[in-house]
Amino acid sequence: MQDIALKMENITKAFPGTIALKGVHFEVRKGEVHALIGENGAGKSTLMKVLLGIYSADEGSITIGGKEIMPKSPAEAITAGISMIHQEISLVPTMSVSENIWLGQEQKFKKGGILSVKARNKATVDLLDRLGIQLSPQTLVNKLSIANMQLVELARAISLNSEIIIMDEPTSSLTNVEINLLFKIIKSLTQNGTSIVFISHKLEEIFEICDRVTVLRDGEYVVTRNCSEIDDKQLIGYMVGRQLTARFPKLEAEIKEPVLEVKNLTSTGVFRDVSFEVRAGEILGFSGLIGSGRSEIMRTVFGLDKLTSGEIVINGKTVKITAPSDAIKYGIGMLTEDRLRTGCIYQLSVMANTTLAYFTRLCNKLGLYRKSSEKKAFNEISSAISVKYSSPKERIAQLSGGNQQKVLLLRWLLTKPKVLIIDEPTRGIDVGSKSDIHLLISKLAQQGVAIILVSSELPEILGMSDRIAVVREGSIVHVCDRADATQELLMEYAFGRK
Amino acid sequence: MKKRINFKDDILLGNKSYFILAILIIILTCLSPIFLTQANLLNVIRQVCVTTIACAGYTLLLGSGHMDLSVGMILMLTGVVVAQLICNEVAIPIAIAIGLLLGAVCGMFNGVLITVFSLPPFIVTLGSQYIFKGLGYVLTGNVPVSNLPSEFVEIGQGYVGIIPIPVFIMIGTIIIISFLLSFTSYGRHALAMGGNAEAARACGININRVRIVSYGVLGACAALASVVQTARSASAQLSAGQDLSMDVIAAAVIGGTSMKGGNANVWGSLIGCLVVGIVSNGLNLLRVDANWQIVAKGVIILFAVILDATTTRAYEKISIRNKVEQQHKEEKNGN
Repeated sequence: MQDIALKMENITKAFPGTIALKGVHFEVRKGEVHALIGENGAGKSTLMKVLLGIYSADEGSITIGGKEIMPKSPAEAITAGISMIHQEISLVPTMSVSENIWLGQEQKFKKGGILSVKARNKATVDLLDRLGIQLSPQTLVNKLSIANMQLVELARAISLNSEIIIMDEPTSSLTNVEINLLFKIIKSLTQNGTSIVFISHKLEEIFEICDRVTVLRDGEYVVTRNCSEIDDKQLIGYMVGRQLTARFPKLEAEIKEPVLEVKNLTSTGVFRDVSFEVRAGEILGFSGLIGSGRSEIMRTVFGLDKLTSGEIVINGKTVKITAPSDAIKYGIGMLTEDRLRTGCIYQLSVMANTTLAYFTRLCNKLGLYRKSSEKKAFNEISSAISVKYSSPKERIAQLSGGNQQKVLLLRWLLTKPKVLIIDEPTRGIDVGSKSDIHLLISKLAQQGVAIILVSSELPEILGMSDRIAVVREGSIVHVCDRADATQELLMEYAFGRK
Repeated sequence: MKKRINFKDDILLGNKSYFILAILIIILTCLSPIFLTQANLLNVIRQVCVTTIACAGYTLLLGSGHMDLSVGMILMLTGVVVAQLICNEVAIPIAIAIGLLLGAVCGMFNGVLITVFSLPPFIVTLGSQYIFKGLGYVLTGNVPVSNLPSEFVEIGQGYVGIIPIPVFIMIGTIIIISFLLSFTSYGRHALAMGGNAEAARACGININRVRIVSYGVLGACAALASVVQTARSASAQLSAGQDLSMDVIAAAVIGGTSMKGGNANVWGSLIGCLVVGIVSNGLNLLRVDANWQIVAKGVIILFAVILDATTTRAYEKISIRNKVEQQHKEEKNGN
């Protein structure tokens, strides 16, 4: 029996509207590399944030090195022997490599209250040599490549002499050379008894470096297995293994001519050579991992982001879209991914939020409008879906997430779009609102609107779409019909295993 | 339950300026016998007119999520130019029209810089105010412009019945700005931009244009205020407008407009200007030393900002509470 370095038992964490973790178990042995995997939103990062003391768990216990402890802050987590290498770089760009590595640990190099830069630089050289990283301690971090910044992050985590190091997608910005170096470092760390939690979407890396793997799905613990005992098919099976019990109100719709055609759309460094078409009455689902570029493709079609090259054709005519106002003019609407940041205007009323995208059309040539015409437009459209509010003048901030999302959908319905792009329409909202929104989307398709549905939830994609496109690393890697699609198939494409 | 919370929202948070004004009036009436005389009140109102005209434009700008520290210097520069034009026998209406246009151009200059170089408004207007200030000094050679004709002076000093003419100009400005906010697409777009610029852009609003126009409107308001100010003192002073930007921010915020943007309460700004004006009038009546009055001004500005921050937070707390309650209810119904 090997020593247990970390044991998380029965961890539960709820946020308003959703339960992110439901009684999750997670156990890491001393000196092992333990992969933590799951789909988008499976609860990986929430679990790690609980471990790091960023979130506090509602229930459950954490045992680190035999002692029960519940970190209240990242500082406490570090003291308890846990550190994390984040996916995003969290270095101070204007400081040197050496300063960054020992940030917060300056005590170690103080002599009579004065910091000895020499001692610190020497410690840095020793550490970097031991790890096989060739960097000068005095180099400023903003002069480094992203890959080297990642290595500095790694050195910082190791400098803390942590028992457990969490690595969140550590290879995402590394080239093969650095990945090999990273794996060498990981091996030498584990030989010295350090445990690694390895979060990654790249299955081949998991099989290469990890000893065991734990799978989470929808905030629940699924299984822990030895990596040598399973293959990637099984692993994907665990990730998507839910039963498709939820019924989706998919209505029969006549699919007609193509309305929107996108040809060879490229945005340098974000996505490349993306082509697809969507027809009147059709729901085209876009699946893929977060960060695969699916939302960025849609933002570009809608004019929120700039495109490098490519063509957008609407009803057979090539159009130029440089701003959302152009897209709206051509009959495109877009429910953006982030309700908070790019959707709601919290200081304005429910009515003002609803009419905003249509507002100029309510006004006469001088830009004047009548309150009565705004009210009329609002009343006509608001019957499309039931929104709970006490008065149209109530500020949208007072509504629940589900109702806010419905208001934002009404905003785009009012513009009578020919193409409606819907990005993550039901993320973090209650079950009732979810099915209301699904029904509305279905009805819209029936009325002949061409719909693009972007979602991280596979059941939603499978239940609603007529065709499904999978995006991986900025390209469409697969398009299939509703009948041919399964959760496993979509995940295999999303993870690049097919 | 819900009704009661909303009621409290409206009465206490939305109209805090009326309470502050009422309390001030009661205190000053008790402390000074002169305060509640017709002469003094008219005096206060005439003083407040200039600030309020500028503040009406400022309210719109704050509502659109922006700020302008150069507004005082726009006022000074346009005052000087209008006065010089009139002294050079340009017809008064034409001189005023040129002044308003100049004010709008100065404002739009700020707006364009902020837009083109995506700079923070604070820094741009902090810098540009020296351009306006310097131009004013250059044009006059450091000498105030006086000897203005009596027809022009009448604009600032005249009366219709017992009501001073500037009051009409002030009310007119407030009505125009309220109209812009309530009945035009531009006004709605400005508030949407102030509330959430990214979301406004996603709704097809040309936020760059809205931003530049908002600065232009403020510039024009500052120019109109400068016409009244110049006429009232029968000369264009180089010291005019020095504390204006801070006064109008404090007044607008006391009046219920948030510094974070998204709402604009123009009539509230009038009350806010009255509060600021009455405090300074009261300090004069109570013979408080002029230097201490400066300290008092600082206190008022900080008070206004703290008030804004705390009411915003109170609003947020209330809406989060309402939302959680509602969500609980929905979950119950859903299950």
